Amino acid sequence: MSPKPHVRKRYWNEPEMGWYERAYLFEILRGLWITGGVFARNMFKWMTGRKGALTTYYPEETRFDYAKGNRGKHVLTRRPDGSPQCIACNMCATVCPAKVIEIEAGFDPDDAAHPKYPVRFEIDYSRCVFCGLCVEACPEDAIRMAKEVPALPGDDRWAMWLGKAELLEWQPQADVAKPYPPAPPRAKTGERP
Amino acid sequence: MPRLTIDGREIEAPAGQTVMDAARAAGIFIPYFCWHPQLSVPGNCRICVVGVEDKGGEWIDIACNMPVSEGMVVHTNSEGVRQRRKDTLQFITLNHPVDCGICDKAGECTLQDYHYEYNGERSLSRDAKNHETKHHALSPRIVLDNERCIQCTRCVRFTREVSKSNGLGMQNRADHSLVRAVEDGSFANDPYSDNVIDLCPVGALLSPSFLHKARVWYLKPTASVCPGCARGCTVNLWHRRPEWRLRAPDMRAQNESIDRVTPLENPAVNGPWICNKGRDLAKLLGRARAEGAMLKGRAAELQGAIAMARSLIAAARKPVALVSSWGSNEELAAFRAAFGERLDARVKADHAPEPGEVVEDAILIRADKNPNTAGAKAIFGDAPPDIPKDADLVLVWGEGLDFNRIPAGAKIVYLNAWLQPENGHADVFIPISIQTERSGHYTNFAGVTSAFAKCFPKPAQAADAETLFASLALAPGGGP
Repeated sequence: MSPKPHVRKRYWNEPEMGWYERAYLFEILRGLWITGGVFARNMFKWMTGRKGALTTYYPEETRFDYAKGNRGKHVLTRRPDGSPQCIACNMCATVCPAKVIEIEAGFDPDDAAHPKYPVRFEIDYSRCVFCGLCVEACPEDAIRMAKEVPALPGDDRWAMWLGKAELLEWQPQADVAKPYPPAPPRAKTGERP
Repeated sequence: MPRLTIDGREIEAPAGQTVMDAARAAGIFIPYFCWHPQLSVPGNCRICVVGVEDKGGEWIDIACNMPVSEGMVVHTNSEGVRQRRKDTLQFITLNHPVDCGICDKAGECTLQDYHYEYNGERSLSRDAKNHETKHHALSPRIVLDNERCIQCTRCVRFTREVSKSNGLGMQNRADHSLVRAVEDGSFANDPYSDNVIDLCPVGALLSPSFLHKARVWYLKPTASVCPGCARGCTVNLWHRRPEWRLRAPDMRAQNESIDRVTPLENPAVNGPWICNKGRDLAKLLGRARAEGAMLKGRAAELQGAIAMARSLIAAARKPVALVSSWGSNEELAAFRAAFGERLDARVKADHAPEPGEVVEDAILIRADKNPNTAGAKAIFGDAPPDIPKDADLVLVWGEGLDFNRIPAGAKIVYLNAWLQPENGHADVFIPISIQTERSGHYTNFAGVTSAFAKCFPKPAQAADAETLFASLALAPGGGP
C-alpha cells in the first residue's frame, strides 16, 4: 500500500496574493517601516520625557491609570476603633480558587460583639489570581481590592506572602518609590526617568 | 406486628415501636433535634412532625413519640407537614443569633442543614432577640453559648441517663431557659462530659480546645482506635484535609496535628460515646518525638543503629524482649515472625493509670491503660514482664519501663517513639513510628478487633516498627 500523497489543507481565509505581494521584498520593507516608525516615535517620546511612551519600568514604576474596577491588592477594612472588620469566618479562604488565603482565628472573650478575630491573615500573592471572589464572599465587607497592584516582584517566593499588618496598613501612596499619582516622567537625555 | 404505610411504603413494625424508629429502620429520614437513638424521648423540639391520614383529612403530631398502629398511613412530606416544620423552625430560630460565620458547628450543624432544607426564609419576627450569656463555662472542658442553645435538653438527658453524673439541668422557663451545671461540680468531674459537644445539635456547647481552631470543612476524619485503655473505643481523628493544607511558613505544623477527636459509632465496643481521655488524644499522641537514633546517648545514623542492634542481638546468649502493648497486631505478628523463639518475649504495660485519672468504671473506662494487651498476650503468652537476672541483652519496645529493673551488665536495645530521658541510657536507641503514622489493628479486652488508619506521613528519622523487626533479626553482615 503506497502512502497517500500529502495534500495541503486549504483554509477559508487563505491570503490572496498578487504579484506585488509575491515579490516579497516590498511587503517586508513596508513591515520594517511600520515597526521602525513605532520604535522611533516611542524612543523620541522616552528620550524627551514626553507622555505616551509604551514602556513602563515595572516595578520601579507602576501605572497610574488603572481602571476604576481593577482588582489589585487586597485591603482589610477596619472598624472605627481600628480593629480589623474581619471575623475570621474563612469564607474568603473557602471560596478562593487558588487557596491562597490562610487565616488563624483567635478568641477574645472580652469583646462580646466580636469574639472571633483574625490572629493572622495571610495571602500568598505568588499564587493569587486576582479573581475577586474573596471580596464577593465576605459577609462583613472586611476585604476589598484596591485598583493598584502590589509591588512584590522579588527573588524569594516567601516574601510574596502579605500578612495582616501589611493588608491593614497598606496605603497606595507608600507602596511605590515615586510620588502617587505619578507625575509624568521628566528626564534628561541619557538618564532613566 | 402492625402494618403501616409511610410515604406510600408498606412497613411492618413491632408493636410499641415509634413511627420515628419504624421510619428509620425502613430508611426514611425524619428530621429531629431533641430525639437521639440512645436517649429518652422528651418530644420538645417538634421538628419531627408527620401527618397521619384520618377520615379524609390529616392530623399532625411528632413521630418520635407516636407508637405505630395497624393500618396507619403516615406522610413525612405532605403540604401540612412542610408548613408545620417551617413554622417550627421559625420558633426555634426566634432567639438564635444566626452567627454561623463565627460558630464552630457551622458546616455540621443540624439547625443550619434543616433551615436550608425545610425553611430557607428570613425570620418573620419583628421583635428583638433575647440576649443571654455567651461563653459560659459549664466546666473547664465545655463552653456554653446560651444564645445558640435551642433547649433540646439532649445534654441534660445525657448526664442523667448515660454518664449518670446528673451534672446538668435547666434553669428558668420558656425563652429564658438556660442549661446550667449543678453547683457540686459533678459535671466537671464527669469523665464523659465531652460527649455533650457532639450531642448538641447546634453550636451551643463547644470545646475550648477546638474553639475557632478550624472550620469543619477543612478537616477530615480518619477512623482510628483510642489507645487510652483496653476498651479500644473506635474514634475519628480529625485533621486537615490534604487539599486544605496550610502553606504559610509558620502555620504548617497544623497540617499534621489532630484537631479534635470524636467517637466513631461502634455498637460492638463503645456505642456512640467515648470518654474525655479519648478527646485528649491530641495531647497523648502529640508529645515531643525522639529526634533520632542514638548509640549510648550519642546521635547516630538510623541504618548504623539498626546494624549495631542487629549485631548485639546476634551476639547475645540470653536475650530478653519486652514487647509493647501499644503495638498493633500486625507489628506483634511481625515481631514474632522475625525473632521466633530466639528472644524470650514478654508483654509489658506501656502506660499505667495516671494520678487523677478515672481508673475504671462501669461504662467504658478500663483499668488497663494499654490498647492491645489482649492482642499481645494472644501471641506472646501471659508471662509477667520480669527480666531474668542472667539476661545479657534486653530489647525494650515501647515506653514505660523503669530501666533500673534491667540487670546491670545487660545491653539495652530500645525502640521508642517519644523523647524521654531513658532513650540516652540505651546502648542502641531507635525511634519508631506512632499510631497515627501507620495502619493496623488492636484487639480489645473482650477480643473485639478494631482497625485504625494512617493519618500523617512518618517522620524521616523514625523507623516503621513492622519492617524494622525483620531487619533487626537478620544475621550481622547481611544474609539471614
